[in-house]
Amino acid sequence: MRKQNLATKLFILFLGGLLLLPVIGAQAQAAEKIGWVGPVYKELSDSLTKSFEKFYKDTYGKEIEITFVRPGGWPVCLDKVRAWGDKPDADIFLGAGAPAHEVLKQEGLIVPYKPKDWDKVPAEWHGMKVKDAGDYWTCFAPWIVTNLYNQKVLKKLRLPPPKTWKDLVNPIYRGNVISTLPYASGTMHETVEIILQGYGEKEGWAYLRLLAAQLARYSTGSTDTTQITARGEVPIGVAQPQMNAMVARRDGYPVSDLLPDKTILVPEAVALLKNAPNEKNGKIFLDWLFSMEGQKAVLNGGYFAARTDIQFSKWEKEGVEMATHAKKALGVDSFWDLDVGFIEYDLDLATKRWDDVNRYYEYEIYRKWSELKNSLALIEEVEGEVQAAKDQNMDVAKAEAQIQKARELFEYDGKYAAARLAATKARTMLVSP
Amino acid sequence: MTRGSISLTAFLWLIMGFLVLYPLSILVGESFKIAQTGGVGLGNYLAFFQDTYYLKTFWNTLVLGFLVLVTSTVFGIPLAYILARYRQWGKTVFTALILLPIVLPAYAGVFAFIIFFGKYGTVNLLLMDAGIIEDPINFIYGLQGLVFIQALHMLPFIVLSLSAGITNIDPSFEEAAEVEGASGFRRFITVTLPLCTPSYLAGAVIVFLWPFTDWLTPLILGQVDFLPSVSYINIAYHFTDEHRKYMGIVAVVVSSVVCISLFLLARWWVERRKYTGLSKGTTSEGRVIDPGPVIKTGSYLYMLFIAGLVLLIPIVLGLSAFSRRWVFEPFPTYWTLDNFRLILLESPKLIQNSFVFSIVALGFGILFGLPAAYIIVRTRVPSRNALDFVITLMLAFPGMAVGVSYLLAFWHGIPLATHWIIMPLALFARRLPYFLRMAHSSYLQLDSSLEEASEVSGAGKFKTFLYISLPLLIKGVLVGVVMFFIMAFQEISTAIFLYRGGWETLPIGIFLNWHRGMEFGIAAAMAFLMIVITFILLLIISRIAGGILKAAWGPGGK
Repeated sequence: MRKQNLATKLFILFLGGLLLLPVIGAQAQAAEKIGWVGPVYKELSDSLTKSFEKFYKDTYGKEIEITFVRPGGWPVCLDKVRAWGDKPDADIFLGAGAPAHEVLKQEGLIVPYKPKDWDKVPAEWHGMKVKDAGDYWTCFAPWIVTNLYNQKVLKKLRLPPPKTWKDLVNPIYRGNVISTLPYASGTMHETVEIILQGYGEKEGWAYLRLLAAQLARYSTGSTDTTQITARGEVPIGVAQPQMNAMVARRDGYPVSDLLPDKTILVPEAVALLKNAPNEKNGKIFLDWLFSMEGQKAVLNGGYFAARTDIQFSKWEKEGVEMATHAKKALGVDSFWDLDVGFIEYDLDLATKRWDDVNRYYEYEIYRKWSELKNSLALIEEVEGEVQAAKDQNMDVAKAEAQIQKARELFEYDGKYAAARLAATKARTMLVSP
Repeated sequence: MTRGSISLTAFLWLIMGFLVLYPLSILVGESFKIAQTGGVGLGNYLAFFQDTYYLKTFWNTLVLGFLVLVTSTVFGIPLAYILARYRQWGKTVFTALILLPIVLPAYAGVFAFIIFFGKYGTVNLLLMDAGIIEDPINFIYGLQGLVFIQALHMLPFIVLSLSAGITNIDPSFEEAAEVEGASGFRRFITVTLPLCTPSYLAGAVIVFLWPFTDWLTPLILGQVDFLPSVSYINIAYHFTDEHRKYMGIVAVVVSSVVCISLFLLARWWVERRKYTGLSKGTTSEGRVIDPGPVIKTGSYLYMLFIAGLVLLIPIVLGLSAFSRRWVFEPFPTYWTLDNFRLILLESPKLIQNSFVFSIVALGFGILFGLPAAYIIVRTRVPSRNALDFVITLMLAFPGMAVGVSYLLAFWHGIPLATHWIIMPLALFARRLPYFLRMAHSSYLQLDSSLEEASEVSGAGKFKTFLYISLPLLIKGVLVGVVMFFIMAFQEISTAIFLYRGGWETLPIGIFLNWHRGMEFGIAAAMAFLMIVITFILLLIISRIAGGILKAAWGPGGK
């Protein structure tokens, strides 16, 4: 009993101590501050923090306290800024592509600012805005949408790396492809948009249905896809920011990206928030970010630099280690020399139909995913039987037309049940024409 | 019903109203907003229940909850019995080991299992190198992996609650059964287990509810179609699609309603069969048996098996923490201390924040939880059941929803979210049910006649509580304290929404570093640090003040 009482007393003492804690834990206030919010990777924010702190000290002779908040992917960050409303807890929205910044602009959450050396960033790239004409946002780190594959695992599976979008829907890759949902990732959404704009809506959705049938499963997000591909769980990852491949390779993973035949540029951009509490420092940061020094910090953080007057080979000589990796990843000396199949991107159309595309994908492909796979399997089966019958010189004209119809119902109309019915009809036509 | 308990209740209500009802009502209000018209109505709920996809998701979650509960119970019953009853060496260590999975944020455990059991993880690579298999086996991705990981994560709750129940059983009940001729197994089934039901249900409800709130583990394992994961994706990624967000909130509200109904059902059942003995199991040592050599060996093997699975998490994370570029190799080849250097030199603040926030939250938890348990169990104040209901509400709300609602409630209206106290407050509100459950079930097992005797002898309510109830309750309370601290220490879903620069905790650090996706090292090192800190904490506490673990588990260990 005495022991128990001692425990009780200690317990109460402990409680009393706890009450004092909030009083003691007051926080010291630094004179100069700046806050960033955004979806950029920690590697970039670390690199920027280090370099900007040094720059600020050297230029103004004062310390600056930098805070960086990254509550999740870019829709989450956007929602956070929305929740802050006209009382933001940061000064800079750091990262995310044009669609996010367009929304920030429309909702009046950012204000225009034209950083120094703003003119060193191109205004447009194959239809994609790289900076806002009204100075609301500017791209500081461009990248392209690409696909990632694991060389080691593909070799073990004796599969050649797929080179084009069409290669990816070859049945030999079935079950070895992974992507996320367009409404769970901006990069995946852009990929869907690339397909729709690159192939036209009709062919585009047909392609996306076939691609869905190839998937091992859906991943949680683009970074999840990178990780799963890098670890070899699924050897081909669709819809990847290009620099993920660069960094994964640097970290020793046997991955490579397939610069696809159709792609777009994604302008990872930066903007000044409305009512920013440290607006002056925000502007200093933006000016610095587009200076050569700031752009080096961007590259050291694992992102490509945005200025047109940058040459990786020159930086390589100056001892910027990442310049070597960037040159290897891109195969050219400047990001803007990149020669891949850019499509002409219609940003207005993409922004307007954003939610509709996501919803269509969710309802017609994701929710019907198992039905979709079963239907395609049946169609392919019957197609094989038709071919076999043809090889035996049977009369397959009617069955052939019927199975053709089944495929069209599947690919173009997305009527999976009707497609199965048509395929079954084709099968009976083989037996009793 | 005294005036004191009424004003106490009113005070507790005030706090709950402020920290739970107010923010959550804002969230629920959102679920009635119609995106297309901008009006208010039942449309979202009708859409939810007419949509086969959401119904399927709903059903999946129920099935998962059931599977997790069954799995953890099957593995937990022998473990709890061994730990509570058998006199053997190493019990404290084993007990602490079993607690480990809940120390970590659920996803840190997932990483470890992915590295170990993944297609090109250690096990598969070893098997392939040995020529036993040709192609890698999918151990972990899919439903089987999800049930395994969630059940292992929740095992401590089953073991803790069952074992507290077994220890607290009045030995005379079982002795009576033996005298009447019931054999060991029969006695266990007909006497011991039924006597544990109140305790067991306290843990079982938490386990069953886990799949209704854990959104991250299913997502990492590529299983999206569960209620919390769907609502996470819908809320977090709605971008400009307001309807999607409202449907996500509807999913949160629906799953909360399910959880709370089940919870009330369990409690009604517990209240209906109250088991208390007069000789006060809470203070006696409980029954301790010296098992025979065969059973002893068997129980050691069993404990080693479970402990081995649990230990995989720190071992694998430890290997990653001390290495770099561990890829496509069964074991790491490049060793380094860099990860720790980075954490300790560049971000010691994370560790400090984690401790300060959790400890302050714990203080709030105890100050609030003990009176709340007292009001709910001992008094007849009219609103006491509703109070319990409101506290339990937090258990059913996904952390993300709490985070969003706190931001909605405390950023503009009442600007509490600008001060760091919001972090411990949120942790407190979110983790309180864990503490309350333990205090609640301990109170149930404490016969009120002892307190009545004290009051009859002239001691006031408060004095009675301090000198009679608290010492008798200390076991349950301390288990609650440990559980509360652990759960607050690893909280991430709410914190990730509320933190401002400089308030990062260790779990947030893990999340930020892991999200790079490539370099596990730093994230693994942080997770490893968390395990070590908490494990040391558990061991130190078990030495001081009669030992929390010993107190919680009854003596017999060494």
